[in-house]
Amino acid sequence: MSKVMIIDDEPFILMMIEDKLKKAGIKVITLRESVNAISAVKDEKPDLIILDWMMPELSGIDLCKMLKSDPDTAEIPIFMLTAKGQEADEQLGIKCGVARYITKPFSPKALLSIVEETIGKQ
Amino acid sequence: MENNNVLGDLHLTVRELSNVYEELSLLYKLSELFSTLNVNEICENLVNEAVATVGVKTAAVLFLNGGNQTLYTRACKGNWDKNRIVDGGTEFIADVLEQGKPMAFCKFEEVAPEDYFPGLKSVLLCPLAGKGKTIGLMILADKSSENEFYSNDVKLLRVISTQAAMAIENAFLYQEIEDLLLGTIKSFVKALETTTQWTAGHTERVTIYALGIAEEIGLDEKQIERLRICSLLHDIGKIAIPRDILNKKEPLEYEEWMEIGRHPLVGATILSGLRAFDDILDGIKYHHEHWDGKGLFGLKGKDIPLMSRILAVADAFDAMTSDRPYRARKNIDETLKEILELSGKQFDPSVVEAFYSWINRQHRAFLP
Repeated sequence: MSKVMIIDDEPFILMMIEDKLKKAGIKVITLRESVNAISAVKDEKPDLIILDWMMPELSGIDLCKMLKSDPDTAEIPIFMLTAKGQEADEQLGIKCGVARYITKPFSPKALLSIVEETIGKQ
Repeated sequence: MENNNVLGDLHLTVRELSNVYEELSLLYKLSELFSTLNVNEICENLVNEAVATVGVKTAAVLFLNGGNQTLYTRACKGNWDKNRIVDGGTEFIADVLEQGKPMAFCKFEEVAPEDYFPGLKSVLLCPLAGKGKTIGLMILADKSSENEFYSNDVKLLRVISTQAAMAIENAFLYQEIEDLLLGTIKSFVKALETTTQWTAGHTERVTIYALGIAEEIGLDEKQIERLRICSLLHDIGKIAIPRDILNKKEPLEYEEWMEIGRHPLVGATILSGLRAFDDILDGIKYHHEHWDGKGLFGLKGKDIPLMSRILAVADAFDAMTSDRPYRARKNIDETLKEILELSGKQFDPSVVEAFYSWINRQHRAFLP
């Protein structure tokens, strides 16, 4: 079974994505804090990580850089959730190895289909 | 037990919120999708979006014909004939148009006359109504999942069609303003051309030549449109020049040339009160400037707006190849030779070059 890890400090977003992916038969792990995420990623070895850009303490982009520079986690594809109007930061994200950008508010249905497309490819 | 209930409630709430979130993301997307003034584009986007969001095999946008009660197909996808015309008086169609509410028919053949929409089993109809009046309606048929239409499908379609109808209404209003503007321009030109003998058709020909040059240079669609308006209005200032000078049969005196020379500035001044012409005022004002700086205002080279440099060549070509009250016209080869001699002096060499390659591509029969 494919495993997706979602890291976001907003509980509603976490619950909503979790609900949508679980229904499609995907195993979901949720984290509400980014600070201890590295060790959690190493323990769980998810097939895909969905990260929120805006998080207190450690931002999504910094976490992404850390994951991409560690050989244990560098290969895991990362989706980044960003708020509307932050599109200008996309270039920075792409440089850091973000696979897909998801602009909030996103369509849960559309998110599921690109998640399936990405984990199906592996 | 109570704990289970709370969890169940939470679960339902998450599902419900998820639907709302879906709708919200759709609204964001639609505002971008419909932010165009091109009605065809809006209708195509509307059909594609409805097919993708509701998940149907067939979708069509029908517009009401102004005069009679028929609807014609404006855009479609799937099992729909693009030339199909629908009678707006048919009972269930009239209901949707009058009540302004969507209606779903799970077994369409039970309500419609036989073979009304051949091949369609379940049909969802939704009116397209802006703030003003009903524009037409949207038809969706047969879900890809083979399911029936749910209330959520109706809700989503309503969101999409309301946004689209407003965008279409805006596009129509914009079109009306544009038509009004163009009508105003044409009246101005008429007013000028009916009072002088030799200007008849001049404006139109200059416009053709100027657009030929623009095409050759590779100006974009928007610039070409502005140049077209500028060309149509370039001589409007001649309204203020005494008729007896414009129609004089003898060669003009120096003072009379000076009087005629006022028309670019007068034209720009006349139009300066209309905001829609702001960007073409300089084009008109400087259309008698010379590339070497020896024109009316002494502007030189690329300080002269491109519109004016194009008009200068187009205008001169037509003036030379037309009869004037005081002289007969020149033939086309003579004129071209003269324009080439003036390239770099009176005219921008690159514009002259563009004019040459344009005119060489034209059929001689269409030229003066």
